[in-house]
Amino acid sequence: LPAGLAQWFPALEVLDVSGTGLAELGAELLALPRLHTLLAKNNRLGAPGSLPKGLGRAPLGRSLRVLNLSGNRFAELPPALLALRGLRSLSLGGNRLHGIPPDIQELRSLEFLYLGGNFITSIPPELANLPSLSYLVLCDNKIQSIPPQLAQLHSLRSLSLHNNLLTYLPREILNLVHLEELSLRGNPLVVRFVRDLTYNPPSLQELAGRTIKTRNVPYAPSDLPENLVRYLSLASNCPNPKCGGVYFDSCVRQIKFVDFCGKYRIPLMHYLCSPECSSPCSSASQSSTSQSESDSEDEASVAARRMQKVLLG
Amino acid sequence: MEQPVQTETWKAASLEELIRILHRLFSEEKVSVEEVQELMESYESNPEEWLQYAKFDQYRYTRNLVDSGNGKFNLMILCWGEGHGSSIHDHTDSHCFMKILQGNLKETLFEWPEKKGNGEMTKKSERVLRENQCAYINDSIGLHRVENISHTESAVSLHLYSPPFDSCNTFDQRTGHKHKVKMTFYSQFGERTPCVSTRYHAPH
Repeated sequence: LPAGLAQWFPALEVLDVSGTGLAELGAELLALPRLHTLLAKNNRLGAPGSLPKGLGRAPLGRSLRVLNLSGNRFAELPPALLALRGLRSLSLGGNRLHGIPPDIQELRSLEFLYLGGNFITSIPPELANLPSLSYLVLCDNKIQSIPPQLAQLHSLRSLSLHNNLLTYLPREILNLVHLEELSLRGNPLVVRFVRDLTYNPPSLQELAGRTIKTRNVPYAPSDLPENLVRYLSLASNCPNPKCGGVYFDSCVRQIKFVDFCGKYRIPLMHYLCSPECSSPCSSASQSSTSQSESDSEDEASVAARRMQKVLLG
Repeated sequence: MEQPVQTETWKAASLEELIRILHRLFSEEKVSVEEVQELMESYESNPEEWLQYAKFDQYRYTRNLVDSGNGKFNLMILCWGEGHGSSIHDHTDSHCFMKILQGNLKETLFEWPEKKGNGEMTKKSERVLRENQCAYINDSIGLHRVENISHTESAVSLHLYSPPFDSCNTFDQRTGHKHKVKMTFYSQFGERTPCVSTRYHAPH
């Protein structure tokens, strides 16, 4: 791009350099103070230095709202991007990404994130710290599981997960009551009731930790070594409403099916603190050893119906 | 004694002309599927002529009514963002023509599920339709899913349904279970028409 760009076109708001074979976006863009939309699809960007240095401090860094880098050669999300605090829409579809950096949470204004068509294998829980995210596309990747923290994305309206390697979803997904679109086709979702039969009994440390938490044994940071204080803070609550217990590393995994809109059955993964516990999704006959596949009318089904218009297929 | 239907080769030089010829064809007692398909394919897509109907939605594909064919057919433009796709659906005993105006769309054909079907649906075939190509389907041919598999380009398609219908069945690929849905228009005749009541759009 010509060096004098910012001087000749100081009022430039939208720039489309898609399909021009660019191998780098240079410093000449940095001084464009009104540029809010930059489209650079189908180019040869991706090597280190594809984006100009000092992006965060430049006028462009403050003005940019929409950035489309789809159809390029990025193997990782360029760290320079993370300085774009005002960015609302980011597309890196059809690149060569193998993962998503946890620092993605720095893009505080992000509403639209398109990462379809890459080689992503897992999702960092930090993705859930994007408070305004409403459209998340992760289709056509190699994702094996969804972190339950994604349920904290309260603004999420559309979640695209088709053509991945998912076998189940976390039950917390039911908390996304504003979700209107959910695509799950092309995933090897389990279709039969599955119960994890290998239950590793809790260690002595875990049993002690559980007792401290459930009996509310008081302790101060000065009473225990730092690593144990940290360990105690990692307790998870058993979702069984009748249990009130906690677990650390030892838990029972159980897949139950939940009806969506009375038509589609999704396998949801529950973590329970012991084989005696039953998940909130079980029927009134509480036996957790029940191998029944029946979906009963319960709080989970109600939550599922509240997720309007879930789209599967 | 029945006379065979006289099929002619039509060429539409513009979208307006396409609509005019369609009205003429559908005013007849009998309409030939081949004639309509050839006519649709003959129109060389000119974005200037249809841009006003091509309203995209960030979250899903949109259906934008162009002409209501005197009640004989509905002509509409569908706008597909990157990664947008439809559910597997039927066509409520109607004829369905689909012509690509921009980009590409993948069409996957499925067999109808067995009556007591409780297994994965069977894929019959799939193909990628290119610009200006026109596909045809009806319920006796099977069911299909249409999707824009591009992660970089949007797609626009022109659809003709005869007779018009506003509901269809969508199918769960994993079980074959079907579910009736009502279809709505994102815009009509170039005007955005948001739905007021709770709508259920076709799953995907």
